[in-house]
This record gives sequence, structure tokens and C-alpha cells, in this order.
Amino acid sequence: MSDEEELSLLETLDHLLDRGVVISGEAVISIGDVDLLYLGLNIVLANVDAIIRTSNKR
Amino acid sequence: MKSLVVGIHLERDDIHVDALHVDALPFGDLWLSGLAIVDGQPLADRDLVLRVARVRGELLDRATFIAVRYGAVAPPLPAIRPEWRDVLIANRGNVEMTLKVAAASPKARPRREDFTSGAAYLRALHDTAAAADDSFRDAAERAFSAIATRWRARDNASLEMAALIPRSRVEEVLAAGESLKRDFPRVPFLLSGPWPLEVFADADQQ
Repeated sequence: MSDEEELSLLETLDHLLDRGVVISGEAVISIGDVDLLYLGLNIVLANVDAIIRTSNKR
Repeated sequence: MKSLVVGIHLERDDIHVDALHVDALPFGDLWLSGLAIVDGQPLADRDLVLRVARVRGELLDRATFIAVRYGAVAPPLPAIRPEWRDVLIANRGNVEMTLKVAAASPKARPRREDFTSGAAYLRALHDTAAAADDSFRDAAERAFSAIATRWRARDNASLEMAALIPRSRVEEVLAAGESLKRDFPRVPFLLSGPWPLEVFADADQQ
């Protein structure tokens, strides 16, 4: 996967996991055994790292 | 059988994605889109997550909707917030774009164990929020000429601007992003979109 593709996928996942209205009365805080907040944070950090990496290649 | 909810829609006809088996669930005078899942299906399944991401994109091609954060399952149906219908009507022709900016100077994240109270820790955490160069922020806002913008710090390493724009201006905004790259070659950023209503789904904050 190229850096651009990786960045696009990370951004899509970031939006999916961290944006939009929360409609469940009982908030989903984990998917599988993975804490959703932790997963979201890791995606954000990976995302920022990918932005910087891709930017440096320009 | 349950549905993994994807979005909230104004019209039944807004929910139609060829070959992806998207359900339309009546939701008061609105509609929910969802993917059928069997009871106990793990929501962390990679293919399911990617399928929802693809459905989101295809639904947005059809009509603007309010995005629902991943993980909500129906039934039971959630309570309807009265402003959702107004938000959908007001933004029928609009989409969101996101500009994510790496911090000008990332700060070290505080450690919880260094603080005796949660309030002090939260204050310290807030103080480490990322900041971007003011001239870049001003230039981005001018370049996009959005209907509305909202900035928020994501963490100590990044912040982002959500911009509400007419669908007809997506290409123009992407071109403005290319101009920003030329004008600010040292600022790492990512412009992405179009996205459904995510940040601007809350009418009270518009």
C-alpha cells in the first residue's frame, strides 16, 4: 500500500470511528476486545504520522 | 437479525446502494440506513468496518445524510432528536470537508500519575492541545470560503478544521488545498472529503 493509500484509509477509519452522532443509549466503548477510544487514538496518531511522512516526500 | 446503523436520512429514496444490501429502517419521519448483521457478529471484523466505510461513501454520493458513529446497532431504535430533520433539510446540498493539520510544535502529553486530581490532569491535558500557525489558519479559512468552519484540537499532535460547503464547491475546495500546499510547504496537512454531516450534525453549534 502506498503512503497516499495508507493515509486515505486511515482518514476514512478515523471518520468512521470518531465522527458522527452517537445514537446508542448505551455507548459502545469497545469493538471486540479493543477499546474504541484507544483504537481511535492510535488511528489519529498513525494518521498524523502519515501526514507528516507524506508531506516530507513532497 | 439486527442492523449496524450507518446514517440518518431525510428520504427513503436516499438509501439505495447497489449490491451492498443496505437496509432502510423507518425512524419517525426520517430513515436509518443499516447493514444487516447476525446476532453476536463481531463489530471489529475488518471486512465489516471497510464495508461500512464504503457504504458511507456511496450513500453520500446519493444524498447528504447525518453520519452515525460506528458501533450503533438497531433495534432498539434510538430516540430521535428533533433538530435532525431541520439539519438535514438545511444541509441537503452541503457536505463537510476536513483539514487536519499537524501541530506547529507538539507538546509532551502529561502523565496521569503526576497529578493528584483529575481536574488538574484535565487542565494540563488541555494546555497541551495542539496549535497551528495563525497565518495558516487564516489562509485556510479564506481559501475555503465555507458556509461555516469549526476548529478543534484532536490531541497534542494535531488539530483540524471542519468546513461546511456546498457540494458544488468540492472541486474548488480541493484546488484551494493544492494552493495551500504551495503557499505553506512546511506545514504538514491533509485535506479530505467530502464527508457526510458529522461535525455539523448538531444544529445548536452551527
